[in-house]
Amino acid sequence: MVRFILMRLLQTLVALVGITILIFGLVRISGDPVMMMVTASSTAEDIENIRRNLGLDKSVPEQFLIFLKDLSRGDLGDSLLKRRPVTEMIGEAIPNSIRLGLPSFVFGMGGALLLGVLGATRRDTSLDNGVKLLAILGQALPGFWVAIVAVYFFSVQWQLLPTSGLGGIDHYVLPVSTMAFFLLPGMMRLVRSSMLDVLDTEYIKLARIKGLPESLVIWKHALRNAMIAPLTVAGMLFAGIITGAVIVETVFSWPGVGRLLVEAVTARDFPLVQGITLLVAVLVLGINLLVDITYAYIDPQIRYQKT
Amino acid sequence: MQETDPEPEVRAESGVGGMSRRTRIVKKLTFIIPVTILSTMAIMAIFADLAWLGFPDIGLAPYDPLKQVLRDRLMPPFFAEGGSTAHLLGTDKLGRDTLSRVIFGARISLSVSVLVILITSSIGTVLGIVAGYLGGRTEAFLMRITDISIAFPAILVAMLLVVSMGPSFTTVVLAISILGWAGYARLIRGETLKLREADFVAQARIIGSSPVRIMLRHIFPNIVNPLIIIMTLQIGLLILVEAALSFLGVGIPPPAPSWGNMVNDGRNLIDLAWWISTFPGIAIGLVVLSGNFLGDWLRDKLDPKLRQL
Repeated sequence: MVRFILMRLLQTLVALVGITILIFGLVRISGDPVMMMVTASSTAEDIENIRRNLGLDKSVPEQFLIFLKDLSRGDLGDSLLKRRPVTEMIGEAIPNSIRLGLPSFVFGMGGALLLGVLGATRRDTSLDNGVKLLAILGQALPGFWVAIVAVYFFSVQWQLLPTSGLGGIDHYVLPVSTMAFFLLPGMMRLVRSSMLDVLDTEYIKLARIKGLPESLVIWKHALRNAMIAPLTVAGMLFAGIITGAVIVETVFSWPGVGRLLVEAVTARDFPLVQGITLLVAVLVLGINLLVDITYAYIDPQIRYQKT
Repeated sequence: MQETDPEPEVRAESGVGGMSRRTRIVKKLTFIIPVTILSTMAIMAIFADLAWLGFPDIGLAPYDPLKQVLRDRLMPPFFAEGGSTAHLLGTDKLGRDTLSRVIFGARISLSVSVLVILITSSIGTVLGIVAGYLGGRTEAFLMRITDISIAFPAILVAMLLVVSMGPSFTTVVLAISILGWAGYARLIRGETLKLREADFVAQARIIGSSPVRIMLRHIFPNIVNPLIIIMTLQIGLLILVEAALSFLGVGIPPPAPSWGNMVNDGRNLIDLAWWISTFPGIAIGLVVLSGNFLGDWLRDKLDPKLRQL
């Protein structure tokens, strides 16, 4: 197990270096980011100044070394737009994103588990069909469109809830429910189908024969085993949360990392975009590592097979 | 007893024997309706105009999708009060014809999807077969990259690319493709693993076929089914991704009429002119639903084991 974790840790580090190079490269793909920062009235001297300030007059390998050196000190550069350190801006936005993301995750996952299990155990009833319909609709409707329609009805037409921004509990209702709705269908489908597989196994039959109450069979014995399949896609789920955050925060003007990213992109603020992308990359790799280890812990076969 | 008498619901689902007439009709409809919708959209996309044949004035779209007629702006669709048959689905805030924009939007949205599917499925299939067949370090390495690519949000790559290259059709296709191959690679590798130990592959190896030949002639033909299924299921997903990118301002740049752009255009006018974002929204929904249903239908038909796709 220790060997497995060490191997994975090493692989993660290699991947991190790879992604850093990739991000560094992608940002410079156009050759000259300066051309996007200058206006028509900039003189050749201005351009030269910007270039020197950003260290772009040096060769690409040199730039990369400087970039790495700054990075190791936790310095991601200054935002072009706000003239403030990127890390500071991201740091301010993170708590807001968590404030939105955490409850959405809890409600989305809770709903997915509940509906997925109910759909699987009451198969082909109207409840199951309702669950399936919800999954189909949830996967077919664009998330941003749902959010816009929700704002139109709840805030504009009926004036029940605020349209946007941070605030009291009522400010959370719409963003959290849209984002939970964004996460729910995929997970629900997965729980349902994995639950169906588990309910068919011998040990569930045994549990029933033993005379265990049905609720215990389903919610403990079956669900526990049915959770392994969804766990393998936890990485994908995180990608979904990020995407959801970007869209939901934009629609509801929520001052989190997602909205910061969209603003940064609109303003072509490339140090900020680069910083946020790096942060997410680190999170993605970290979560993947965690999932791998958890998975290996649950299922010994993997531990020995894949190292 | 159970071997001879399968549970009725299993029987109904596997499509053998006891399927009721109604179920069979429903099953057929889940094929006919999506195919009709998708073909209609494809015809709209191809024949929106015939500029590619040298006749820019002939086509399905009644108007030029970019032509602004400010006098006619915010006209409701023909069936609503104040609408006219001159603009069947109304006009937007610049007086552009919604129907023409939806038709031309099909061209943009579908070509993004088709291009991305072609690129990602080719890369993913090659890497998946190579990883699955060769195994060992190659496999471990390729699958690590695959895992990470699957977990990385495509939207971030798109934003990174837009910042460096500027928004364009190429940027969008590239941005989605950079990570999009990974899903194919994972699935195809799994399928290849199953085939690697099959008798016919072993026999091919014994008579001295080269690995390349085995992968190409013996393994590839056997993974075509799951490949087609996942490609079909991707249509809807990609339409949604393209729409989301346009919505965030990192998709196909306006004034080009992509469906995502149109939804975004109508966003602030939804209480005044609901039709601007509703019709492209319906188009998105229809294509996504059709793609998903067709994919499910194909899966039931070709490869019922792949339930979790």
